[in-house]
Amino acid sequence: MKHEMKISLPFYKISYAVFFTVMLSLVRGVTYSDEVGIALEAPMAILAASFCADTYTQEITSKRSEIQRLCPMKKRMYCIYRRIVIQEIFLLSVAVIGYGLFFLFQNPRVLYIDPNISENETCQFFIYFAAIAVTLAFWGLLSNLISCLFRNMWMGIGGCLILWLITNSSVGDRYLGAWNLFSYTFRDTENGSDFSWICGKIVCMCIGTIMVAILPKIIEKRG
Amino acid sequence: MGIAIEDLTVTFKNQVTAIDHANLEIPKGIFGLLGENGAGKTTLMRVLTTVLSPTSGIVTLDGMLYCEGNYEKIQRKIGYLPQEIDLYPSLTVQECLEYMGDLSGISKKTCKERIGYYLEKTSLSEHRKKKIKQLSGGMKRRVGLVQALLNEPEFLIVDEPTTGLDPEERIRIRNLLVDFSEGRTVLFSTHVLEDLAATCNQLAVMKRGHFLYAGSMLELLEYAKGIVWDFVTTDSVQARELEKKYLISAKQYTENGIQMRILSKEKPDVDCKPDNAMLEDAYIYLTNQ
Repeated sequence: MKHEMKISLPFYKISYAVFFTVMLSLVRGVTYSDEVGIALEAPMAILAASFCADTYTQEITSKRSEIQRLCPMKKRMYCIYRRIVIQEIFLLSVAVIGYGLFFLFQNPRVLYIDPNISENETCQFFIYFAAIAVTLAFWGLLSNLISCLFRNMWMGIGGCLILWLITNSSVGDRYLGAWNLFSYTFRDTENGSDFSWICGKIVCMCIGTIMVAILPKIIEKRG
Repeated sequence: MGIAIEDLTVTFKNQVTAIDHANLEIPKGIFGLLGENGAGKTTLMRVLTTVLSPTSGIVTLDGMLYCEGNYEKIQRKIGYLPQEIDLYPSLTVQECLEYMGDLSGISKKTCKERIGYYLEKTSLSEHRKKKIKQLSGGMKRRVGLVQALLNEPEFLIVDEPTTGLDPEERIRIRNLLVDFSEGRTVLFSTHVLEDLAATCNQLAVMKRGHFLYAGSMLELLEYAKGIVWDFVTTDSVQARELEKKYLISAKQYTENGIQMRILSKEKPDVDCKPDNAMLEDAYIYLTNQ
Protein backbone atom coordinates (compact mmCIF):
# COMPACT_ATOMS: atom_id res chain seq x y z
CA MET A 1 0.00 0.00 0.00
CA LYS A 2 2.88 2.36 0.85
CA HIS A 3 4.43 1.77 -2.59
CA GLU A 4 1.09 2.30 -4.28
CA MET A 5 0.64 5.60 -2.44
CA LYS A 6 4.03 6.82 -3.61
CA ILE A 7 3.20 5.85 -7.19
CA SER A 8 -0.30 7.25 -7.39
CA LEU A 9 0.18 10.37 -5.29
CA PRO A 10 3.33 12.11 -6.51
CA PHE A 11 4.06 15.58 -5.15
CA TYR A 12 3.00 17.42 -8.31
CA LYS A 13 -0.45 15.81 -8.28
CA ILE A 14 -1.02 16.59 -4.61
CA SER A 15 0.10 20.17 -5.25
CA TYR A 16 -2.17 20.89 -8.19
CA ALA A 17 -5.18 19.28 -6.53
CA VAL A 18 -4.75 21.34 -3.35
CA PHE A 19 -3.98 24.51 -5.32
CA PHE A 20 -7.05 23.98 -7.50
CA THR A 21 -9.31 23.58 -4.46
CA VAL A 22 -7.86 26.56 -2.61
CA MET A 23 -8.24 28.74 -5.71
CA LEU A 24 -11.79 27.52 -6.24
CA SER A 25 -12.76 28.37 -2.67
CA LEU A 26 -11.29 31.85 -3.14
CA VAL A 27 -12.71 32.79 -6.55
CA ARG A 28 -16.06 30.96 -6.75
CA GLY A 29 -18.48 33.20 -4.86
CA VAL A 30 -21.19 31.70 -2.66
CA THR A 31 -23.78 33.58 -0.66
CA TYR A 32 -25.54 30.83 1.22
CA SER A 33 -24.11 27.73 2.83
CA ASP A 34 -26.19 25.36 0.69
CA GLU A 35 -24.40 26.69 -2.40
CA VAL A 36 -21.01 25.37 -1.28
CA GLY A 37 -21.72 21.82 -2.44
CA ILE A 38 -23.02 23.13 -5.77
CA ALA A 39 -19.89 25.24 -6.21
CA LEU A 40 -17.66 22.25 -5.58
CA GLU A 41 -19.27 19.27 -7.33
CA ALA A 42 -18.67 20.03 -11.03
CA PRO A 43 -15.11 21.44 -10.67
CA MET A 44 -14.15 18.53 -8.41
CA ALA A 45 -15.42 16.15 -11.10
CA ILE A 46 -12.99 17.65 -13.62
CA LEU A 47 -10.22 17.47 -11.02
CA ALA A 48 -11.00 13.77 -10.48
CA ALA A 49 -10.99 13.12 -14.23
CA SER A 50 -7.57 14.68 -14.76
CA PHE A 51 -6.19 13.25 -11.51
CA CYS A 52 -7.12 9.64 -12.26
CA ALA A 53 -6.48 9.62 -16.03
CA ASP A 54 -2.94 8.29 -15.64
CA THR A 55 -3.77 5.64 -13.02
CA TYR A 56 -2.77 2.96 -15.50
CA THR A 57 -1.57 4.86 -18.58
CA GLN A 58 1.59 5.83 -16.67
CA GLU A 59 2.53 2.17 -17.07
CA ILE A 60 2.04 2.43 -20.84
CA THR A 61 4.04 5.64 -21.34
CA SER A 62 6.89 4.32 -19.22
CA LYS A 63 6.82 0.94 -21.06
CA ARG A 64 6.38 -0.81 -17.73
CA SER A 65 3.16 -2.27 -19.12
CA GLU A 66 5.27 -4.59 -21.30
CA ILE A 67 6.68 -6.13 -18.14
CA GLN A 68 3.34 -6.04 -16.33
CA ARG A 69 1.82 -8.12 -19.11
CA LEU A 70 3.91 -11.00 -17.81
CA CYS A 71 2.37 -10.67 -14.34
CA PRO A 72 -0.81 -12.45 -13.23
CA MET A 73 -3.93 -10.50 -14.24
CA LYS A 74 -5.37 -10.65 -10.71
CA LYS A 75 -2.28 -8.96 -9.27
CA ARG A 76 -2.32 -6.29 -11.96
CA MET A 77 -5.98 -5.47 -11.40
CA TYR A 78 -5.52 -5.46 -7.63
CA CYS A 79 -2.81 -2.83 -8.09
CA ILE A 80 -4.97 -0.67 -10.34
CA TYR A 81 -7.95 -0.81 -7.98
CA ARG A 82 -5.70 -0.01 -5.03
CA ARG A 83 -4.41 3.05 -6.88
CA ILE A 84 -7.94 4.17 -7.69
CA VAL A 85 -9.02 3.79 -4.06
CA ILE A 86 -5.97 5.74 -2.81
CA GLN A 87 -6.60 8.54 -5.31
CA GLU A 88 -10.31 8.68 -4.53
CA ILE A 89 -9.65 8.87 -0.78
CA PHE A 90 -7.20 11.69 -1.39
CA LEU A 91 -9.63 13.56 -3.64
CA LEU A 92 -12.41 13.08 -1.10
CA SER A 93 -10.19 14.56 1.59
CA VAL A 94 -9.44 17.52 -0.66
CA ALA A 95 -13.16 17.94 -1.35
CA VAL A 96 -13.86 17.97 2.39
CA ILE A 97 -11.09 20.50 2.99
CA GLY A 98 -12.46 22.56 0.10
CA TYR A 99 -15.88 22.57 1.75
CA GLY A 100 -14.31 23.92 4.92
CA LEU A 101 -12.26 26.51 2.99
CA PHE A 102 -15.44 28.03 1.53
CA PHE A 103 -16.66 28.65 5.08
CA LEU A 104 -13.26 29.97 6.08
CA PHE A 105 -12.75 32.36 3.18
CA GLN A 106 -16.30 33.38 2.31
CA ASN A 107 -18.29 32.88 5.49
CA PRO A 108 -21.56 32.09 3.64
CA ARG A 109 -24.90 32.93 5.23
CA VAL A 110 -26.68 30.09 6.94
CA LEU A 111 -30.28 29.63 5.81
CA TYR A 112 -31.70 27.77 8.74
CA ILE A 113 -32.93 30.07 11.44
CA ASP A 114 -33.86 27.64 14.13
CA PRO A 115 -32.21 26.27 17.27
CA ASN A 116 -31.01 23.14 15.46
CA ILE A 117 -28.87 25.19 13.12
CA SER A 118 -25.64 23.22 13.61
CA GLU A 119 -27.48 19.95 13.15
CA ASN A 120 -28.83 21.10 9.77
CA GLU A 121 -25.43 22.28 8.67
CA THR A 122 -23.94 18.94 9.68
CA CYS A 123 -26.68 17.12 7.82
CA GLN A 124 -26.01 19.29 4.76
CA PHE A 125 -22.32 18.46 4.96
CA PHE A 126 -22.96 14.72 5.12
CA ILE A 127 -25.27 14.91 2.11
CA TYR A 128 -22.52 16.79 0.27
CA PHE A 129 -19.99 14.19 1.42
CA ALA A 130 -22.06 11.30 0.04
CA ALA A 131 -22.79 13.09 -3.24
CA ILE A 132 -19.21 14.20 -3.86
CA ALA A 133 -17.88 10.73 -2.99
CA VAL A 134 -20.05 9.23 -5.74
CA THR A 135 -19.16 12.04 -8.17
CA LEU A 136 -15.40 11.68 -7.60
CA ALA A 137 -15.55 7.91 -7.90
CA PHE A 138 -17.55 8.10 -11.13
CA TRP A 139 -15.37 10.66 -12.92
CA GLY A 140 -12.15 9.07 -11.70
CA LEU A 141 -13.22 5.64 -12.91
CA LEU A 142 -14.52 6.99 -16.21
CA SER A 143 -11.36 8.89 -17.06
CA ASN A 144 -9.19 5.89 -16.18
CA LEU A 145 -11.39 3.59 -18.24
CA ILE A 146 -11.33 5.81 -21.36
CA SER A 147 -7.57 6.31 -20.95
CA CYS A 148 -7.01 2.55 -20.79
CA LEU A 149 -9.27 1.99 -23.78
CA PHE A 150 -7.34 4.42 -25.96
CA ARG A 151 -4.00 3.89 -24.17
CA ASN A 152 -3.77 7.65 -23.79
CA MET A 153 -4.53 9.75 -20.70
CA TRP A 154 -5.49 12.78 -22.79
CA MET A 155 -8.28 10.78 -24.38
CA GLY A 156 -9.54 10.05 -20.88
CA ILE A 157 -9.45 13.70 -19.86
CA GLY A 158 -10.89 14.84 -23.20
CA GLY A 159 -13.69 12.27 -23.16
CA CYS A 160 -14.64 13.24 -19.63
CA LEU A 161 -14.55 16.93 -20.51
CA ILE A 162 -17.06 16.41 -23.33
CA LEU A 163 -19.41 14.47 -21.07
CA TRP A 164 -18.88 17.07 -18.34
CA LEU A 165 -19.83 19.91 -20.71
CA ILE A 166 -22.99 18.08 -21.79
CA THR A 167 -24.18 17.03 -18.36
CA ASN A 168 -23.12 20.15 -16.51
CA SER A 169 -25.26 22.40 -18.69
CA SER A 170 -28.81 23.65 -18.83
CA VAL A 171 -29.35 21.25 -21.76
CA GLY A 172 -28.20 18.33 -19.62
CA ASP A 173 -30.42 19.47 -16.78
CA ARG A 174 -33.43 19.92 -19.08
CA TYR A 175 -33.15 16.53 -20.77
CA LEU A 176 -31.84 14.38 -17.94
CA GLY A 177 -33.40 16.10 -14.94
CA ALA A 178 -33.03 14.07 -11.76
CA TRP A 179 -31.12 11.39 -13.69
CA ASN A 180 -28.35 13.81 -14.62
CA LEU A 181 -24.85 12.92 -13.43
CA PHE A 182 -24.79 16.37 -11.78
CA SER A 183 -28.24 16.05 -10.25
CA TYR A 184 -26.85 17.21 -6.89
CA THR A 185 -25.68 20.47 -8.48
CA PHE A 186 -29.02 21.04 -10.21
CA ARG A 187 -31.18 20.04 -7.25
CA ASP A 188 -33.84 22.35 -5.89
CA THR A 189 -32.06 23.90 -2.92
CA GLU A 190 -35.20 25.68 -1.76
CA ASN A 191 -36.98 22.39 -1.27
CA GLY A 192 -34.92 20.60 1.35
CA SER A 193 -37.17 17.54 1.34
CA ASP A 194 -36.60 16.90 -2.38
CA PHE A 195 -34.19 14.02 -2.70
CA SER A 196 -35.01 13.09 -6.28
CA TRP A 197 -31.41 14.07 -7.21
CA ILE A 198 -30.32 10.77 -5.68
CA CYS A 199 -31.47 9.16 -8.98
CA GLY A 200 -28.53 10.85 -10.74
CA LYS A 201 -26.13 9.49 -8.14
CA ILE A 202 -27.63 6.01 -8.51
CA VAL A 203 -26.96 6.29 -12.25
CA CYS A 204 -23.34 7.21 -11.41
CA MET A 205 -23.03 4.20 -9.10
CA CYS A 206 -24.53 1.80 -11.64
CA ILE A 207 -22.27 3.01 -14.46
CA GLY A 208 -19.34 3.01 -12.02
CA THR A 209 -20.02 -0.64 -11.13
CA ILE A 210 -20.13 -1.54 -14.82
CA MET A 211 -16.83 0.31 -15.36
CA VAL A 212 -15.17 -1.59 -12.51
CA ALA A 213 -16.39 -4.84 -14.04
CA ILE A 214 -15.20 -4.15 -17.60
CA LEU A 215 -11.85 -2.59 -16.72
CA PRO A 216 -10.07 -5.99 -16.45
CA LYS A 217 -11.27 -6.91 -19.96
CA ILE A 218 -9.92 -3.64 -21.36
CA ILE A 219 -6.57 -4.04 -19.58
CA GLU A 220 -6.31 -7.62 -20.83
CA LYS A 221 -7.12 -6.70 -24.43
CA ARG A 222 -5.34 -3.37 -24.68
CA GLY A 223 -2.44 -4.12 -22.32
CA MET B 1 13.99 -27.72 -26.15
CA GLY B 2 13.89 -23.94 -26.15
CA ILE B 3 12.07 -21.64 -28.52
CA ALA B 4 11.03 -22.63 -32.01
CA ILE B 5 9.79 -20.09 -34.55
CA GLU B 6 8.24 -21.35 -37.78
CA ASP B 7 7.23 -19.14 -40.68
CA LEU B 8 6.60 -16.19 -38.39
CA THR B 9 5.13 -13.06 -39.95
CA VAL B 10 4.17 -9.85 -38.18
CA THR B 11 2.41 -7.20 -40.22
CA PHE B 12 1.21 -4.01 -38.56
CA LYS B 13 -2.04 -2.18 -39.30
CA ASN B 14 -0.16 0.26 -41.53
CA GLN B 15 0.82 -2.74 -43.71
CA VAL B 16 4.48 -2.60 -42.61
CA THR B 17 5.86 -6.12 -42.32
CA ALA B 18 8.29 -6.17 -39.42
CA ILE B 19 8.98 -9.91 -39.56
CA ASP B 20 8.59 -11.75 -42.83
CA HIS B 21 8.24 -15.55 -42.82
CA ALA B 22 11.06 -16.04 -40.34
CA ASN B 23 12.26 -19.39 -39.00
CA LEU B 24 14.50 -19.77 -35.98
CA GLU B 25 15.41 -22.19 -33.20
CA ILE B 26 16.69 -20.77 -29.95
CA PRO B 27 18.33 -23.46 -27.82
CA LYS B 28 19.22 -23.35 -24.12
CA GLY B 29 22.04 -21.01 -23.20
CA ILE B 30 22.68 -17.44 -24.32
CA PHE B 31 21.50 -16.72 -27.82
CA GLY B 32 22.58 -13.46 -29.43
CA LEU B 33 20.34 -11.36 -31.60
CA LEU B 34 21.96 -8.88 -33.92
CA GLY B 35 20.61 -6.51 -36.50
CA GLU B 36 20.49 -2.92 -37.62
CA ASN B 37 17.87 -0.52 -36.24
CA GLY B 38 14.45 -1.43 -37.62
CA ALA B 39 15.52 -4.99 -38.50
CA GLY B 40 12.62 -6.46 -36.47
CA LYS B 41 14.48 -7.50 -33.31
CA THR B 42 12.21 -5.65 -30.91
CA THR B 43 9.11 -6.89 -32.75
CA LEU B 44 10.41 -10.44 -32.41
CA MET B 45 10.98 -9.94 -28.70
CA ARG B 46 7.50 -8.45 -28.30
CA VAL B 47 6.06 -11.56 -29.94
CA LEU B 48 8.10 -13.81 -27.68
CA THR B 49 6.91 -11.93 -24.59
CA THR B 50 3.28 -12.25 -25.81
CA VAL B 51 2.94 -8.46 -26.00
CA LEU B 52 2.28 -8.79 -29.72
CA SER B 53 0.35 -11.53 -31.50
CA PRO B 54 1.87 -12.76 -34.76
CA THR B 55 -0.02 -12.27 -38.00
CA SER B 56 0.84 -15.83 -38.98
CA GLY B 57 3.28 -18.56 -38.08
CA ILE B 58 3.96 -20.77 -35.10
CA VAL B 59 5.98 -20.04 -31.99
CA THR B 60 6.58 -22.58 -29.24
CA LEU B 61 8.36 -22.37 -25.89
CA ASP B 62 9.56 -25.75 -24.63
CA GLY B 63 6.96 -27.32 -26.89
CA MET B 64 4.17 -25.06 -25.61
CA LEU B 65 2.36 -23.29 -28.43
CA TYR B 66 1.96 -19.50 -28.29
CA CYS B 67 -1.83 -19.08 -28.28
CA GLU B 68 -4.36 -17.20 -26.11
CA GLY B 69 -5.02 -20.28 -24.01
CA ASN B 70 -1.33 -20.78 -23.18
CA TYR B 71 -0.32 -17.15 -22.74
CA GLU B 72 -0.69 -17.19 -18.96
CA LYS B 73 1.51 -20.27 -18.58
CA ILE B 74 4.08 -18.89 -21.03
CA GLN B 75 4.14 -15.48 -19.34
CA ARG B 76 5.05 -17.12 -16.03
CA LYS B 77 8.17 -18.57 -17.65
CA ILE B 78 9.42 -15.29 -19.09
CA GLY B 79 11.53 -12.43 -17.76
CA TYR B 80 11.85 -9.34 -19.91
CA LEU B 81 13.98 -6.23 -19.99
CA PRO B 82 12.68 -3.89 -22.71
CA GLN B 83 14.96 -1.53 -24.57
CA GLU B 84 13.38 1.50 -22.96
CA ILE B 85 11.83 1.41 -19.55
CA ASP B 86 11.20 4.03 -16.88
CA LEU B 87 10.86 2.39 -13.53
CA TYR B 88 8.90 4.09 -10.75
CA PRO B 89 10.82 7.35 -10.17
CA SER B 90 9.40 8.04 -6.71
CA LEU B 91 10.28 4.60 -5.31
CA THR B 92 13.66 3.53 -4.00
CA VAL B 93 15.53 0.70 -5.74
CA GLN B 94 14.50 -1.74 -2.97
CA GLU B 95 10.87 -0.59 -3.00
CA CYS B 96 10.67 -0.72 -6.78
CA LEU B 97 11.98 -4.27 -6.92
CA GLU B 98 9.75 -5.38 -4.04
CA TYR B 99 6.78 -3.89 -5.86
CA MET B 100 7.65 -5.60 -9.15
CA GLY B 101 8.30 -8.87 -7.32
CA ASP B 102 4.93 -8.64 -5.60
CA LEU B 103 3.29 -8.03 -8.98
CA SER B 104 4.97 -11.15 -10.34
CA GLY B 105 3.51 -13.14 -7.48
CA ILE B 106 6.79 -13.91 -5.70
CA SER B 107 6.49 -14.42 -1.96
CA LYS B 108 7.86 -11.54 0.15
CA LYS B 109 10.60 -13.61 1.78
CA THR B 110 11.87 -15.10 -1.49
CA CYS B 111 11.63 -11.72 -3.16
CA LYS B 112 13.77 -10.02 -0.50
CA GLU B 113 16.38 -12.76 -0.73
CA ARG B 114 16.55 -12.54 -4.50
CA ILE B 115 16.68 -8.73 -4.46
CA GLY B 116 19.63 -8.88 -2.06
CA TYR B 117 21.41 -11.45 -4.23
CA TYR B 118 20.93 -9.71 -7.55
CA LEU B 119 21.65 -6.23 -6.19
CA GLU B 120 24.95 -7.63 -4.95
CA LYS B 121 25.64 -9.21 -8.33
CA THR B 122 24.93 -5.95 -10.15
CA SER B 123 26.85 -3.76 -7.64
CA LEU B 124 23.70 -1.93 -6.62
CA SER B 125 23.56 -2.93 -2.95
CA GLU B 126 24.83 0.42 -1.74
CA HIS B 127 22.23 2.22 -3.87
CA ARG B 128 19.21 0.23 -2.68
CA LYS B 129 17.86 3.17 -0.66
CA LYS B 130 18.26 5.67 -3.48
CA LYS B 131 15.20 6.73 -5.42
CA ILE B 132 15.06 5.55 -9.03
CA LYS B 133 15.04 9.17 -10.23
CA GLN B 134 18.39 9.70 -8.49
CA LEU B 135 20.12 6.89 -10.40
CA SER B 136 22.30 7.23 -13.47
CA GLY B 137 21.20 5.67 -16.79
CA GLY B 138 23.47 2.66 -16.30
CA MET B 139 22.18 2.04 -12.78
CA LYS B 140 18.57 2.22 -13.97
CA ARG B 141 19.45 -0.33 -16.64
CA ARG B 142 20.84 -2.65 -13.99
CA VAL B 143 17.74 -2.27 -11.83
CA GLY B 144 15.70 -3.12 -14.93
CA LEU B 145 17.76 -6.25 -15.40
CA VAL B 146 17.29 -7.26 -11.76
CA GLN B 147 13.51 -6.97 -12.12
CA ALA B 148 13.70 -9.28 -15.17
CA LEU B 149 15.65 -11.86 -13.17
CA LEU B 150 13.50 -11.69 -10.01
CA ASN B 151 11.10 -14.50 -10.90
CA GLU B 152 14.05 -16.60 -12.09
CA PRO B 153 12.46 -17.16 -15.50
CA GLU B 154 13.13 -20.14 -17.72
CA PHE B 155 13.30 -17.80 -20.70
CA LEU B 156 14.95 -14.42 -20.27
CA ILE B 157 14.70 -11.77 -22.96
CA VAL B 158 17.05 -8.81 -22.61
CA ASP B 159 17.07 -5.95 -25.06
CA GLU B 160 20.38 -4.10 -24.91
CA PRO B 161 21.05 -4.70 -21.22
CA THR B 162 24.54 -3.22 -21.31
CA THR B 163 23.59 0.18 -22.76
CA GLY B 164 25.08 2.99 -20.71
CA LEU B 165 27.26 0.74 -18.56
CA ASP B 166 30.96 1.32 -17.97
CA PRO B 167 33.34 -1.45 -19.18
CA GLU B 168 33.70 -3.04 -15.75
CA GLU B 169 29.95 -3.16 -15.22
CA ARG B 170 29.39 -4.53 -18.69
CA ILE B 171 31.68 -7.45 -17.88
CA ARG B 172 29.83 -8.04 -14.58
CA ILE B 173 26.46 -8.04 -16.31
CA ARG B 174 27.73 -10.33 -19.04
CA ASN B 175 29.04 -12.77 -16.46
CA LEU B 176 25.77 -12.58 -14.55
CA LEU B 177 23.86 -13.46 -17.73
CA VAL B 178 26.21 -16.33 -18.49
CA ASP B 179 25.74 -17.74 -14.96
CA PHE B 180 22.00 -17.23 -15.20
CA SER B 181 21.77 -19.00 -18.56
CA GLU B 182 22.73 -22.37 -17.09
CA GLY B 183 19.80 -24.63 -17.92
CA ARG B 184 17.81 -21.68 -19.20
CA THR B 185 17.36 -19.76 -22.42
CA VAL B 186 18.56 -16.16 -22.62
CA LEU B 187 17.85 -14.09 -25.71
CA PHE B 188 20.41 -11.32 -25.72
CA SER B 189 19.81 -8.50 -28.16
CA THR B 190 22.52 -5.89 -28.47
CA HIS B 191 24.47 -3.71 -30.85
CA VAL B 192 27.64 -4.24 -28.85
CA LEU B 193 29.29 -7.12 -30.74
CA GLU B 194 31.95 -7.40 -28.08
CA ASP B 195 29.27 -8.43 -25.60
CA LEU B 196 27.98 -11.16 -27.89
CA ALA B 197 31.46 -12.40 -28.68
CA ALA B 198 32.11 -12.73 -24.95
CA THR B 199 28.87 -14.50 -24.03
CA CYS B 200 27.19 -16.36 -26.89
CA ASN B 201 27.91 -19.51 -28.82
CA GLN B 202 24.84 -19.14 -30.96
CA LEU B 203 23.43 -16.07 -32.63
CA ALA B 204 21.09 -14.81 -35.31
CA VAL B 205 21.43 -11.79 -37.54
CA MET B 206 18.30 -9.97 -38.68
CA LYS B 207 17.76 -7.58 -41.52
CA ARG B 208 14.43 -6.16 -42.70
CA GLY B 209 12.39 -8.84 -40.99
CA HIS B 210 14.46 -11.78 -42.21
CA PHE B 211 17.15 -13.87 -40.57
CA LEU B 212 20.29 -13.46 -42.62
CA TYR B 213 22.11 -15.92 -40.41
CA ALA B 214 21.31 -18.24 -37.55
CA GLY B 215 23.90 -20.57 -36.14
CA SER B 216 27.10 -20.73 -34.20
CA MET B 217 29.52 -17.89 -33.72
CA LEU B 218 32.37 -20.02 -35.07
CA GLU B 219 30.50 -20.76 -38.29
CA LEU B 220 29.84 -17.08 -38.78
CA LEU B 221 33.52 -16.32 -38.29
CA GLU B 222 34.33 -19.16 -40.68
CA TYR B 223 32.00 -17.57 -43.21
CA ALA B 224 34.03 -14.39 -43.03
CA LYS B 225 37.37 -16.17 -43.25
CA GLY B 226 39.64 -14.78 -45.96
CA ILE B 227 37.66 -11.59 -46.57
CA VAL B 228 39.57 -9.27 -44.25
CA TRP B 229 42.50 -7.25 -45.60
CA ASP B 230 44.68 -4.79 -43.74
CA PHE B 231 45.91 -1.84 -45.71
CA VAL B 232 47.96 1.22 -44.75
CA THR B 233 48.29 4.30 -46.92
CA THR B 234 49.44 7.88 -46.54
CA ASP B 235 47.37 8.97 -49.53
CA SER B 236 43.97 10.22 -48.35
CA VAL B 237 42.61 10.30 -51.91
CA GLN B 238 43.42 6.63 -52.34
CA ALA B 239 41.76 5.91 -48.97
CA ARG B 240 38.59 7.69 -50.10
CA GLU B 241 38.53 5.77 -53.37
CA LEU B 242 38.89 2.47 -51.51
CA GLU B 243 36.01 3.45 -49.23
CA LYS B 244 33.83 3.94 -52.31
CA LYS B 245 34.89 0.63 -53.84
CA TYR B 246 34.98 -1.73 -50.82
CA LEU B 247 33.33 -2.34 -47.51
CA ILE B 248 35.50 -0.90 -44.76
CA SER B 249 34.99 -2.25 -41.25
CA ALA B 250 37.60 -0.03 -39.57
CA LYS B 251 39.61 3.08 -40.38
CA GLN B 252 42.24 4.60 -38.16
CA TYR B 253 44.80 7.39 -38.42
CA THR B 254 48.16 6.03 -37.21
CA GLU B 255 51.78 7.17 -37.27
CA ASN B 256 52.28 5.13 -40.46
CA GLY B 257 49.30 6.65 -42.20
CA ILE B 258 45.66 5.68 -42.64
CA GLN B 259 45.12 2.09 -41.56
CA MET B 260 42.07 0.42 -43.10
CA ARG B 261 40.32 -2.91 -42.70
CA ILE B 262 38.89 -3.87 -46.08
CA LEU B 263 36.23 -6.55 -46.46
CA SER B 264 36.38 -8.27 -49.82
CA LYS B 265 36.15 -11.80 -51.12
CA GLU B 266 38.81 -11.03 -53.75
CA LYS B 267 42.12 -9.48 -52.81
CA PRO B 268 41.83 -5.71 -53.32
CA ASP B 269 44.04 -4.28 -56.05
CA VAL B 270 46.32 -2.58 -53.53
CA ASP B 271 49.23 -3.79 -51.45
CA CYS B 272 47.35 -5.29 -48.48
CA LYS B 273 47.75 -8.19 -46.07
CA PRO B 274 45.11 -10.76 -45.08
CA ASP B 275 43.93 -10.69 -41.46
CA ASN B 276 41.75 -12.82 -39.20
CA ALA B 277 38.05 -12.02 -39.28
CA MET B 278 36.37 -10.74 -36.14
CA LEU B 279 32.64 -10.81 -35.36
CA GLU B 280 32.30 -7.20 -36.44
CA ASP B 281 33.84 -7.95 -39.84
CA ALA B 282 31.56 -10.95 -40.32
CA TYR B 283 28.49 -8.94 -39.32
CA ILE B 284 29.29 -6.02 -41.65
CA TYR B 285 30.09 -8.36 -44.52
CA LEU B 286 26.94 -10.43 -43.98
CA THR B 287 24.54 -7.51 -43.71
CA ASN B 288 25.98 -5.78 -46.77
CA GLN B 289 25.84 -8.74 -49.13
